[in-house]
Amino acid sequence: MVKPLSEFLAELDGLCQEAVSAFSAAADTEALEAVRVRFLGAKNGQIKDLQKGLGQVDKADKPVAGKQFNEVKNRVEAALAEATARVATSQAQSETRPRLDASVPGRRQKLGRLHPLTQTVEDLKDIMARLGFTVAEGPEVEDEWHNFEALNIPGDHPARDPLENFYLATAGVVAGGEGGTTAASGGAGNLLLRSQTSTVQIRVMEKTRPPVRIISFGRVYRPDTADATHYPMFHQIEGLLVDRHVTMADLKSVLRLFAANFFGGDDVHIRFRPSFFPFTEPSVEVDMSWRGGWIEMGGAGMVDPNVLSAVGYDPEEVSGFAFGLGIERICARRHQVTDIREFYRNDVRFLHQF
Amino acid sequence: MIVSWNWLKQYVPLDIPVAELERRLMMAGLNHEGTSEVDGDLAVDFEVTSNRPDCLGHLGIAREAAVLFGLPLQMPAAQVREGAARVEELVKVRIDCPDLCYRYTARLVRGVKVAPSPAWLASRLQTVGLAPVNNVVDISNYVLMECGQPLHTFDFGRLKQGEIVVRRPRPNETIEAIDHKTYALGPEMCLIADARDAVAIGGVMGGASTEISTRTRDVLVEAAEFAPLSIRNTARLLNLHSDSSYRFERKIDPEGVDWASRRCCELILELCGGELAAGVVDVGRQPPARAPVVLRFSQLKRILGIDIDPQRVREILAALGNQETAADQKQVTVVPPSWRRDLTREIDLVEEVARIHGYEQIPEDVRVPMAPSIRSREDRVLGQVRQVLTACGFDEAMTLSVVDEPLSAAFSPWSDQPALQSQTPIRGADRLRRSVVPSLLAARRTNQSLSNPEIELFEIAKVYLPRPGQLPVEDVVISLNSSRPFEFVKGVVESLLESLHVAGRLDAAPAGCELLDPEQSCRLLLDGKLLGFLGSVRGPALRQFELRGETLVAELRFAVLAEAANLVPRYEPLPLYPAVSRDLNFVVSESVRWADVARTVQATAGAYFESLTYLDTYRDPQRLGEGKKSLLMTLGLRWKQGTLTSQEADRVRDEIVSACQREHGAQLRA
Repeated sequence: MVKPLSEFLAELDGLCQEAVSAFSAAADTEALEAVRVRFLGAKNGQIKDLQKGLGQVDKADKPVAGKQFNEVKNRVEAALAEATARVATSQAQSETRPRLDASVPGRRQKLGRLHPLTQTVEDLKDIMARLGFTVAEGPEVEDEWHNFEALNIPGDHPARDPLENFYLATAGVVAGGEGGTTAASGGAGNLLLRSQTSTVQIRVMEKTRPPVRIISFGRVYRPDTADATHYPMFHQIEGLLVDRHVTMADLKSVLRLFAANFFGGDDVHIRFRPSFFPFTEPSVEVDMSWRGGWIEMGGAGMVDPNVLSAVGYDPEEVSGFAFGLGIERICARRHQVTDIREFYRNDVRFLHQF
Repeated sequence: MIVSWNWLKQYVPLDIPVAELERRLMMAGLNHEGTSEVDGDLAVDFEVTSNRPDCLGHLGIAREAAVLFGLPLQMPAAQVREGAARVEELVKVRIDCPDLCYRYTARLVRGVKVAPSPAWLASRLQTVGLAPVNNVVDISNYVLMECGQPLHTFDFGRLKQGEIVVRRPRPNETIEAIDHKTYALGPEMCLIADARDAVAIGGVMGGASTEISTRTRDVLVEAAEFAPLSIRNTARLLNLHSDSSYRFERKIDPEGVDWASRRCCELILELCGGELAAGVVDVGRQPPARAPVVLRFSQLKRILGIDIDPQRVREILAALGNQETAADQKQVTVVPPSWRRDLTREIDLVEEVARIHGYEQIPEDVRVPMAPSIRSREDRVLGQVRQVLTACGFDEAMTLSVVDEPLSAAFSPWSDQPALQSQTPIRGADRLRRSVVPSLLAARRTNQSLSNPEIELFEIAKVYLPRPGQLPVEDVVISLNSSRPFEFVKGVVESLLESLHVAGRLDAAPAGCELLDPEQSCRLLLDGKLLGFLGSVRGPALRQFELRGETLVAELRFAVLAEAANLVPRYEPLPLYPAVSRDLNFVVSESVRWADVARTVQATAGAYFESLTYLDTYRDPQRLGEGKKSLLMTLGLRWKQGTLTSQEADRVRDEIVSACQREHGAQLRA
C-alpha cells in the first residue's frame, strides 16, 4: 500500500506542532522526560513511527518526504533542547523560592510515659497469661489469718514480730501482735499492711476449687530502711498453680519458660537452692543462668500441705507450686537502675527515660 | 554462722578445697556469704535459715558436710570424771516459771584456776569473731559455737546460799549485766536469781555480780532450755541480742542440753583443773519423745516429679540422723533426730531427701498442661485508661500508700472516717491515704524544686477507706495533676469516657472541697453516680504544698469507669443521607448553664438530632449587656429517612431558638 505524499506531509506537520507545544508546556524535568520519550523515544517514539511511514511513500516522492521528515525531526529535537535549557533555568531560580525543608523536626505530641514498674508488671503479666495464669487481686490491708495463719506462720513465728511488719493502730490491736489470734476468715482482729502477695493465694483458694492457676501482684510492705536495694514498700508478683499431679518439675519448667520469655533466649536454665519459707515445702531459691553465671530470681516451692488444708483442699488429692519475685529488682536489673529509690521519687526526667 | 575451717575439720575429715565445701553446702541449703582469712585459719560465713538452728554450731555444719561428702562424723565423747561430792547436796535449783524456762541443768566444778585460755582455744574463738576472756568463759563460748547450745558459767561462791531460782522479775527489779549496763526487767522476762538477787537474764546475758573472774574458784555450769518467744521478746525489749538469745529464739536441741553441759565440764577439768561434783541437777521437763514419721516413696514422685531409689532415700534419711524403725517396699518409718525439730511431717522428709539428692536432678523441660487465662474487665479498662492518659501527656507516678498527717488531712473526698494508722511510720508517714491527690501534689513539688518544666502526673492506686470492725474498702482511683487549664483537664476526663465508649451522661455539680477553688472546681457525676472531683487548687493549699502556678487536680473512681465502660461496642449502620449543620449563638444570663441549654437543644431537635458541639463562651458587657454571655455552638442535624432539606433544617433551628428563649431566656444573636 502506497501512502500519498500529501497525507504523509500532513501527518508530519501535525506531529511537529503537537511536539513543539508539548515540549514548551513541560514544566519540570520529569514532565520533560515523559514528553521526550513520547516523541523522541528510541523504541516507540512517534518520530520513529513516522520514519516507518516514510517507507510507504511512493518512490518518486521519497526525496521530498525524506527532506521534510528530517526537517521536522530537527525542529522537534531543537524544541527538546530549548525545553531542557528552560527547565534547568527555572529550577535554578527556584533555589531562592521558599519551599519545604523536610529536615525540619515535626511538631510532636507531648506523650506521657508509663512508670517503669508498670511496664515490667505488664510484661510479666503478659508472659504469665500466655502460660495460662489469670491475674488475681486482693487487699493490701490484711488480717493475720490471711497474712500469717493460713500461710503456716503460727503465732510465735518471728515473721510476725511487730518490728518486721506494719501493724495498724486500730482498736483491737494487741500490742506485740502475738499469742492467740483470731483465725476467723474475714474477721478484723489485728490488721496490717500485707507483707507478701501470698495473701491473695489464700483468698483465691478459699473461694475456688482446684485447679487454680493465678498470678497476683501488687504492693507489699516491710519495715526495711530505704537504701539502693530496699524500700519499705515494694511490688511482688506471685504465681500459684494447684491441681492434681503438680510437681516441682512443673515448677522448674514454668520458671524456665518464664525466664526465657522475659529475658529472651532459648539457652536459659533454672537452678534451685534449698531455702525456707513457711508456706512452701520444699522451699527453694530460684536462680537463672545469665551471662555465664547465675542470678537470683526469687523464692519458690511446693505449697505446704498445711496451707492447702487451711483453705479446705486435700493435700492428698492436689499439690501445687508457688513462686514470688520482687518486681523492683527485676525492673532495676532490666533497665540498669542502680538505686530503687528512684522508682518512688517520680522525677519526670527519670520517668521519661522509659 | 561463721565457721572456722580448721575447727570444722576436727569433726569431719574434709580433704577438699574450701570452695568445694561452700558450693556443696550452698546447694544443700546453707548459703555462702563470704570467706575471710583469720591468722592462718579461714572464717567461712554461712547463712542459716530460721528452720535450721541445728546448723548454728560447728557440729551441725559438720554433720551436713559429712552427709554430703559421705564421710564419718566424729563427735567428742563429752565424758567427765566425777568427784565424790554429790552436786544435789551443794546446789539447789528451782523453776518458778516453767512456761518461760522448760528445763534447767546445773553442774558444779570446784577448785578451778581461772587464767587466760591456751592459744588453740583463743584462736578458735577469734576466727569466729569472739574475743577471748578467760579460760572458763571461753570454754562456755567454745561449746556454744561447737554444738549450738548456749551455756552460762557462774562464780558459785557469789551465788547466795548456792541456790538458783528461775523466776519472773519482781516489780522494778533491775540487773547489771556483764556488759556493765543496768537493765530494767519487764514482768514477762525470765530471770535467773540466787536466793535473793538477780544473777542473769535467762538465755540472754549473765549478770556482773556472779561473772567469772580470777578470784573465782568454784564454777556452776548452767545448761538450760528457755521458751523461744520469751527470749525473743526479752532480747527485743532490752535491745540486747546475744549469741545465746539468737539460738534460744530458734529452739535448741533439747537432747543436746546435757551433752553440752558435760562437754563444758570436760574442758574445764582439762584446762582449768578442779573437781566435778557427781551428777547433775536437772529440773523441769525432760525432752519429749519424738513421734515417728512415715515417708511413702510414691510421694517423692508426686511432689518432686522424679523417682528416687528407695535404698538411696533410706540412706539419706539415716545419714541425717533419722532412726529407721520400719521399712518396706512402699514406705519407710523414721524417728527424726532431736536436733531436727523441723522434721515432723512426711513433706519435711520429702524436702530432706530432695535437697541431699540434689535439685539439679529435677528436670526443667516437662510439658505443663495448657490452660486458658482470662483477662479481667478491670484489667482491660485499666490498660485503656493508661493509654489515654499517656497520650494526653501525663507521666505515671508511683507514690507511697501512706502520707503524713497534714497531707492526709488536706484532701479526703471519699471518706469522713479518720485515716487508718500504721503503728510504725513508713518513711516518716503513718496515715493510710484516703486520696492520692496529696501524694501527687507532693510529687509535683519535688519536680518543681528540680526545675522540671513540664509536670503532668497521674497515678492509679488504691485508697484505704476505713470501715469500723472490718477490713477497709480499697478503692482504686485515677488521680492526676496538671498545669493546664480546667477545660483541658475536663477534656481529658471526657476523652477517657469516650475511649471507653461510655454512654452515660456526665454532669458537673459543686465540688464542696476545702482544697479546691469553689469557682474553679466541680464534682463529676456519671448518670448521677459520683465519678470524681476536678478543680483548681486554692491559694492557701498551694502554699501548704509549696507549689507555684495554677495547679489542676482530678481524682476519679476507677470502679465507676470500669462499670460504665463498653468494651465491645455494637455496630451501627453508617448514615445513608448527609448531615446539615447550623451555627447557633445564644445570649443568656450568666446563671444559665451550658448543660441545660444543650439538653433543650437536643430535646427539641428530637429525631433529627445528630450532634451539638460547644465552640466558645463570649462575654462583652458593652455589646451583650451586664451579666450576659453568649454561647457559641454548632448543631448537626440528620434525617434517617432521607436528605434533610435546608428549609427543614431551618425550621428545626427556629424551633430550637424559640424553645431556648422560652426555657432559658436565650436570645439568638445574629
